[in-house]
Amino acid sequence: MAADPRLRSALIAPLVAKNPITLQILGICSALAVTTSLDTALTMAVSLTVVLVLSSLIVSTIRRHIPGTIRLIVQIVIVASLVIVIDQFLQAYFFDISQRLSVFVALITTNCLVLGRTESFARSNPPLASMADALGNGLGYSLVLVTIGAIRELFGTGTLLGLQVFETVDQGGWFTPLSLMLLAPSAFFLLGGLVWAVRSLLPEQAEARETTPPEVEEARP
Amino acid sequence: MIRGLWDRETVAMMLLIAIFPVVALWVMAEGLEAVARLLFFLVVAGVWHVIWMLARAQPPSIAGAMTAICLAMLAPRELGLVALLLSTSFGVVMAELAFGGWGRNVLNPATVTLAFMGFGYPVAPWPDLAVQLGWAAAPAALIGMATGVIAAPLVVSTVLALAVGAVLGVDYAETGTAVAVVLVLLVCDPVASAATRLGRWLNGALFGALAAAFTAHWSGAAPVQAMVSAALLASLAAPLLDELSIALWVRRRRKRFG
Repeated sequence: MAADPRLRSALIAPLVAKNPITLQILGICSALAVTTSLDTALTMAVSLTVVLVLSSLIVSTIRRHIPGTIRLIVQIVIVASLVIVIDQFLQAYFFDISQRLSVFVALITTNCLVLGRTESFARSNPPLASMADALGNGLGYSLVLVTIGAIRELFGTGTLLGLQVFETVDQGGWFTPLSLMLLAPSAFFLLGGLVWAVRSLLPEQAEARETTPPEVEEARP
Repeated sequence: MIRGLWDRETVAMMLLIAIFPVVALWVMAEGLEAVARLLFFLVVAGVWHVIWMLARAQPPSIAGAMTAICLAMLAPRELGLVALLLSTSFGVVMAELAFGGWGRNVLNPATVTLAFMGFGYPVAPWPDLAVQLGWAAAPAALIGMATGVIAAPLVVSTVLALAVGAVLGVDYAETGTAVAVVLVLLVCDPVASAATRLGRWLNGALFGALAAAFTAHWSGAAPVQAMVSAALLASLAAPLLDELSIALWVRRRRKRFG
């Protein structure tokens, strides 16, 4: 790892500086849908990272043999095959979570993040670099998913991974669960707030203004 | 909008003057508790306005007082301090200040806060408004329309839509007060409601229709909750209605002048 600085940066840059969700706004459909609790968010994050790394490896390995005209079809077939494997694996060993994730594991196939990385990076880079890039992006995605999932579960029910952290009022504690956190809009609010926070801390991530206000000269010096 | 005397703060002051009858009767009906609640929301909204003035050089607006009055009057009772702080901060910051302050926001911050409280803490009981508040809404609307800060088409079309509902057999005995108060306090906000003539007619009619529909079919909802939801939906539709009205106007102009 430490041997090659380029691999290192491919792995670390997507965590915050080039985070796929907060900077590129990719893959937010699943980020919004599966983050009502931390365990589904974790499962989704791991599944996506595995699919992303393996598909990058395969696409990168056969990159010189994929005809340019049908490359998207080939990539989607590879991604879809991996997704089916993961989906079957979850149904076999984590049936309960797989039921709660419902269609969203299958939808990893169409996740912009996966296709984006295979298309823009793995297709033109050697396997090891592609895998480092894929792992970095998968971890960046996971970071956001786990953060939002933890906030939503903690403030929506007072638990984390099913363990009671805040004693709710019903149990004689002080915490009033914020039911809004379990509804879809809260994910938008949290994601928006997260993007706002990240871009306030790292102003270079903010997009350029669409229009520039006119310079008004002072009437008096 | 600066034309002589009329800048943003004048409009906010006029709004405050217009809703004065409602506020006065509310304070008379609920007494010291009302004043304490109002003070709490004034402080929270005021602190956020000052923070944004210091952080972003956004001038604070007296409209924050309007938000505080709406919240003190309509917010669910028995919410904890954390819940009140969280939802008020969310509404004031996300719905108003983040857009650049009063006048640039899309939704009324009080409407957003109330919706946040309703979705976030569904078990908290909504307040029962005293009947005289509903009647006080009439002079409030009249003062607002006379001074020009409340758009007459909004009020008239709401009343018309409600009347159509009444003809169809909707009974406003329970929700009438809430409809009137929410109409004056939230729906008629000149910033969050539609701004074109046709848009205003449609916006008011939409609120009236939603209010009638919720009265008739949303059983189990507190009157204030149902009317705040109607106000939120009508206010969300306002930009669309404006867009529609402008598109129609452009089409008409094009037909006439080629």
